[in-house]
Amino acid sequence: MAKNRKNQAAAIRFGPALKASFLCLLIGGSGIGFVWEKGQNYQLGQQIHQREVRLNRLQADNKQLDDQIAFLRSPVMLDRRVKELQLGLAPMTPLQVVRLVEPIAPPPTSNPPRQLVQRTGSRRTP
Amino acid sequence: MTNKKQIRRAALLLACLGAAFAGLGYRLVDLQILCHDELRERAEQNTQREIWRTPRRGDILDVTGNILATSVPVKTICADPSLIGNLQPVVAHALAPLLQMNESDLTIRLTPRIGRNDKGETVTNGLHYVRLAKNIPEDTWLKIAATMSDLTFGIDEKKLSRDNRAFLRNLREHAVFSEPDQMRVYPNGALASQVIGFPGKEETPVGDHVLAQIVGRDGIELSLQKQLSGVAGWKLTEVDRRQRELVAQRDEDVHARNGLDVVLTIDAAVQHIVETALAEALQKHTPKSITGIVMRPSTGEILALASLPNYDPNQPNTITPETRDRVITDVMEPGSTFKIVVVSGALNNGVVKLTDQFDCEHGHFAFAGRVLHDAEPHGILNVEEIITKSSNIGAAKIGIQLGAQNLYDYAWNYGFGQRTGIPLPGEARGFLYPVKDWSKVSIAQIPMGHGVAVTRLQMLYAMGAIANGGWLMRPMIVNRLQEHDGSVVQRYAPERIRQVISPKADAEIIEALKTVPTKQGTAPDAALKNYVVAGKTGTAEKVEHGAYVHGKYVASFIGFFPADNPQLCISVVMDEPKEGYYGGQVCGPVFRDIAERCASYLNIPPDANLATNSPALAVESRQHKF
Repeated sequence: MAKNRKNQAAAIRFGPALKASFLCLLIGGSGIGFVWEKGQNYQLGQQIHQREVRLNRLQADNKQLDDQIAFLRSPVMLDRRVKELQLGLAPMTPLQVVRLVEPIAPPPTSNPPRQLVQRTGSRRTP
Repeated sequence: MTNKKQIRRAALLLACLGAAFAGLGYRLVDLQILCHDELRERAEQNTQREIWRTPRRGDILDVTGNILATSVPVKTICADPSLIGNLQPVVAHALAPLLQMNESDLTIRLTPRIGRNDKGETVTNGLHYVRLAKNIPEDTWLKIAATMSDLTFGIDEKKLSRDNRAFLRNLREHAVFSEPDQMRVYPNGALASQVIGFPGKEETPVGDHVLAQIVGRDGIELSLQKQLSGVAGWKLTEVDRRQRELVAQRDEDVHARNGLDVVLTIDAAVQHIVETALAEALQKHTPKSITGIVMRPSTGEILALASLPNYDPNQPNTITPETRDRVITDVMEPGSTFKIVVVSGALNNGVVKLTDQFDCEHGHFAFAGRVLHDAEPHGILNVEEIITKSSNIGAAKIGIQLGAQNLYDYAWNYGFGQRTGIPLPGEARGFLYPVKDWSKVSIAQIPMGHGVAVTRLQMLYAMGAIANGGWLMRPMIVNRLQEHDGSVVQRYAPERIRQVISPKADAEIIEALKTVPTKQGTAPDAALKNYVVAGKTGTAEKVEHGAYVHGKYVASFIGFFPADNPQLCISVVMDEPKEGYYGGQVCGPVFRDIAERCASYLNIPPDANLATNSPALAVESRQHKF
């Protein structure tokens, strides 16, 4: 009996130790995971915020460039530039415009054109 | 003995611990239950932020997509004087050049003024902050932020206490901040300014915030305010100790719905042509005002609408009552241009034919106790010649023949005495009195354009009806509403109001109007080289304090071309011109200038019968080979 007890006390109980370790790891891991996830959330939030700021900035820049194009294309601006640069441009007169009359297509005939008939027939004798 | 003493000590310790736990428990109950609401509110104030998102105001574009009005994101620079302590001079010295402000003024503005608000709380400068500058570009704000963060105060901060260091850090980071805002910009300056209008700012309190919004004060900016303004959005979120947003804690995130873009029927190039021509005429004839309108008679679309003097909406100080849109707000006696109403009505009713003759009494016609005059004496004139020579007596006799009720009906059907419905604010009705209120001489006066008051727009649309086969059109100034990406939300179609005269009568009156811009007519200077023009002159004495004023005239010319296939209808009106005052004399050349340049820009084919002297015949002849 005593021998058995001695033997038992000296024996390493792997089962409970493993269970305890696993439990500790689980709790510790959960804690670390929770903190990591919170950290990730925060970091991703900051990235989203930075991207939103960047997007707004880009949209504002885009708008500014659009406005610049609009200003440069405006008739008032173009007229002013033409006068400043003394390009000698003047409005065209109606008689300087060549107007081409669309040729009137011939009305469709009921019989197929002769050329088509010949081609159809030529398939028989290569 | 020892046991008893130990037990007592233990009991005492237990009692102390119990009391401590009880106190702690009470404090917990106090914090969690009794003071819960108050503490929760304070916590939310510290962390929660409700951020309003102002919608971007829609652009106003011309029919070809040129931007006439747009909104630019800018910053309003604010400061919290309570965070600056006594360092105002240093901050003012750093910021004054960037804000383009006087340094001493800025120092005064940065000095805290302590007061109490409605709740009895001590506040600085009423709103906790002061506005230093508005409409600051984003780039300038970035420079201001960089200047603030690099601010040095000439002291070794390492030797300062923790509190002082925190104060300086807070000053750099939070004392000066910006609020997003937008500024209305008009890239073309004064071009079409009276159509577009000008903006103002309105601040609407929303909760604890003040939402600044651009609102229209005149023109399209005012009449389409609802469509342009959009709907505000908001973001309910939390911030950390350093006021950085915790994105994961966002509760609500509703984007603002931007305003719609308004596409006008105005063509910026045509508008520029008109304004340039009017400016030249303004310089030459120095009238009190001059107006010009260009419209497409077949649709009622207005391509240009200008009134000089005008204003630059980018510079609010240029806006005065004199710069109002006289085309729709001012009424005048039309003078001879009104003869188109009586003559077309009489032709339509079959009361007269173009060849019918009238005795024009050699310039003096006594009627109902009054003597009517012509500018030049005429004898016998047919109806066409009455239009050609613009005989008042001839028109009066046609009016008498047509009858008072018919004359009134035609005037009403042409749209006089009622608003045209153009979506611009401040349109006048004009005056067209019912027949029962007419005096005996009215039947002779109204045909020559006296005793009625019309707007310049009404007169143009009456002429437009003649150019459009007798159909009166609704004025169109807005083509469509669209999203910023170009997708159309609403498109406006041309609207016929009524047919005033038959096509036959219309063709006859056009034949008569073709004779006006000729050597025999009253407006030879309005004739175009490559197009047949139909039009009518008008010269009306001005009425002041209920009496005609000799020497003050309103001169006008309204015409359309090509006469047989009208593409454009143009009105030019001058108020009190100098160096001549007859409509054909002063307004005719302006009409011609506008018409020639518009025809060139819009590539309107010349009239075939006038194009015989074409220099490009050699090229044109080749087209027959195709």
